[in-house]
Amino acid sequence: MKELFKVADAVSQDQVLELLRRVKGPELEGNIVDLGLVSEVMIKEGRVYFSITVPSDKAEELEPLRQAAEQVVSEIEGVDKVSAVLTADRAPGATNGNAQPQAAAPGPNPMGQPVGSPGSGTGAVPGIKHIVAVASGKGGVGKSTTAVNIALGLKELGLKVGVLDADVYGPSLPRLMGLTGEPTPTAGEDLHPMEGHGLKVMSMGFLVDEAQPMIWRGPMVMSALTQLLRNVAWGEIDVLIVDMPPGTGDAQLTMAQQVPLAGAVIVSTPQDLALIDARKGLNMFKQVSVPVLGIVENMSYFLCPSCGERSEIFGHGGAEAEAEKLGLPFLGAVPLHMDIRSQSDAGAPVVAASPDSEHSKIYKDIAAKVWSAIEETSAAAEEAAPKIVIE
Amino acid sequence: MGENAGAPTEIRLNSDKDMLNVSFGEGKDYSFSAEMLRVMSPSAEVQGHSPEQRKTVSGKRLVKISGIEPVGNYAIQISFDDGHDTGLFSWKYFLELGQEQEGRWAYYLYELEEKGLSREPFPPVEGGPH
Repeated sequence: MKELFKVADAVSQDQVLELLRRVKGPELEGNIVDLGLVSEVMIKEGRVYFSITVPSDKAEELEPLRQAAEQVVSEIEGVDKVSAVLTADRAPGATNGNAQPQAAAPGPNPMGQPVGSPGSGTGAVPGIKHIVAVASGKGGVGKSTTAVNIALGLKELGLKVGVLDADVYGPSLPRLMGLTGEPTPTAGEDLHPMEGHGLKVMSMGFLVDEAQPMIWRGPMVMSALTQLLRNVAWGEIDVLIVDMPPGTGDAQLTMAQQVPLAGAVIVSTPQDLALIDARKGLNMFKQVSVPVLGIVENMSYFLCPSCGERSEIFGHGGAEAEAEKLGLPFLGAVPLHMDIRSQSDAGAPVVAASPDSEHSKIYKDIAAKVWSAIEETSAAAEEAAPKIVIE
Repeated sequence: MGENAGAPTEIRLNSDKDMLNVSFGEGKDYSFSAEMLRVMSPSAEVQGHSPEQRKTVSGKRLVKISGIEPVGNYAIQISFDDGHDTGLFSWKYFLELGQEQEGRWAYYLYELEEKGLSREPFPPVEGGPH
């Protein structure tokens, strides 16, 4: 790559990136370079090409961002032409709507209304001590399976645990937990959560037909999630695991903003591509000051069930190296195993079905690390929350 | 961890709703006029996506803060009585603003003058509440 730049007179990739650091990210936090949104910069004979990754549903409104990026780079001496393109970061089932993070937030607060009052959307949820998001940069990395087994691992530690399936686009918890039927209403206006394998569980999948395709617009997603979180009689819970929708689009960012998260666990496969996606996930939580508790490497290696040979089909260790590079705890590596898959699909997560198996041990170990990280960060966060006073 | 470390200890809005006090402790106490926060709102409407696109907001001398809403654990969303409510003020932004308060304010006044704008609401009174 470096060879290319020599041809291009004085213009270097670093120079371009340096100037692009002046362009703020889509949420006006940080800059597009450090947020990891800028692709490889190509420079050829005074022409500069690069792409900027943005949420697909925001591409139109982020046109000024693209122009700004072109503008700053065109100021470099020796640059004749700049082509910046926006690349859509399409979340599965992403809405075509105008899902601005603020759209779901309560409107202007009338004077005198108490700030952060119950039900206002962002405050703590009564009865729930810690909320932890399990997220992945992209789908298909086994995020939901990991979420459920971590939840079961936490339960094994003697904690009261709930799981909220926030993947309204493709709720999978009912199937993973082997739960059917509908939640029953409480005496008030709330719903009782479902219960399975000692966990309290809530999912959009209980309320609508799993096979029926759902079209969600941004604000609807937020209101559905807010209801699943706040209009459910969770009771006393130590940890609520939130299975986030895959990806790092608006829905995820809004969730991360609206739900008082104690922290987030990122699930990634060892593949490079998935890691790039995982890094996007990290950046998203960083943007909203949610501490990342650590990274789990899923489908890490394959243990042959007949001969016991360990095959690192996806190139094991990527996530661990990446975690180290990012200064994040590595929570553990979960092998690819038929049992995990088949038992999960049969509604019996491995930690519940075979609690003493090798795989369950791995999950329990991850859960223990998650719990200690929660305790550590929540103590710090409690100290940090500012008091808001209106005279 | 410790990503929360930069959070203020207290955010206080005065009874006239035109002055916001943000205390970070350790002597880092900053008072911002509602006007300053409004014209330097980190909202895309005001800031654009690069320095070149930033707008100079004028005529906000009398603006008041009508609401404060916490956003996650990293920012507050401030609503102003002129209807502007899209700015998310992060702890980091408050620190920046606080540390460079005088310089930024002076530069704002300079910009107003450059562009022939004023702090005064103009036209003076539009009549009736909005």
